[in-house]
Amino acid sequence: MNKRKPTLSDDQLYALEEHLAGTLKPVTPPMEVVQRLRERIRFPQPEEIAWRLRDWNRMFLIFGGVMSGMLLLITIARAFFYLVGRRHIG
Amino acid sequence: MVLFLADPPVGIHVPDIEFNEEDVLVRASQGDRDAFGQLYGRYIDRIFNYVYYRTGNLHDAEDLTARVFQRAMNHIHNYTDRGVPFSAWLYRIAHNLVANWHRDRSRRQEIPLNDLPVLPSKGDHPERNLVRSQEQDSLLRLIRRLPSERQSLLILKFVENMSNAEIGAIMGRSEGAVKSLYHRTLLALRDQIGDQNINLDNE
Repeated sequence: MNKRKPTLSDDQLYALEEHLAGTLKPVTPPMEVVQRLRERIRFPQPEEIAWRLRDWNRMFLIFGGVMSGMLLLITIARAFFYLVGRRHIG
Repeated sequence: MVLFLADPPVGIHVPDIEFNEEDVLVRASQGDRDAFGQLYGRYIDRIFNYVYYRTGNLHDAEDLTARVFQRAMNHIHNYTDRGVPFSAWLYRIAHNLVANWHRDRSRRQEIPLNDLPVLPSKGDHPERNLVRSQEQDSLLRLIRRLPSERQSLLILKFVENMSNAEIGAIMGRSEGAVKSLYHRTLLALRDQIGDQNINLDNE
């Protein structure tokens, strides 16, 4: 059995397209959104990286943070091995 | 230092007399941030429009638009003009990110219409009362229920005013296939309008 292919009359097509054109209109993004996007889409310039490396306060904090983290890990690891070792001996 | 310092202030349109996209693309792919800034200025509105209509909310539109340009900036050295214009490449990135966004939400979300802010259309007076008619709301709701490809097609055709060939370049389909998909989309919309007794004659 042949299926009739559904079609759109010219009037229907025109009317629907007109409504779509009235509904799907290009919009202007709000100014603050464009500004925020400009701020977001950035990565540090080489000069900025160099400046960060010369910032001693920041470097001191980073170095201190890394060292503290490492000491904490070592302490936990030592405690763990100590407890496991004792259990084996016992 | 913020990127794109050389860009014009928002809202001021600079004529394209000196804009040579090929040249700008070459410079951008060599890491020239000002050049990428020019591309950004040229395409931000279009990509935002596409994402805004696909996501249906301002917050996600902003987030995804930023990600489109971040991804474009990170991969622009991979872009080579093999008959696909840069705009189509950008739209493909946007298309994929929006598809991932929908997938992440794991279900097609119908955005409550109250949440879909009405932004001023191009050329509108800023003080114009921004309201959408009930018919437009109904039509938008129907469009949101269409499959992703069909939504993209309608947005590219009506919002971006693109030809079937241009849409085909973005969607990876032939011009004929786009034309056929468009026709089927209109048929589906017409049927849904009939099923839901939506009257579009009252505008």
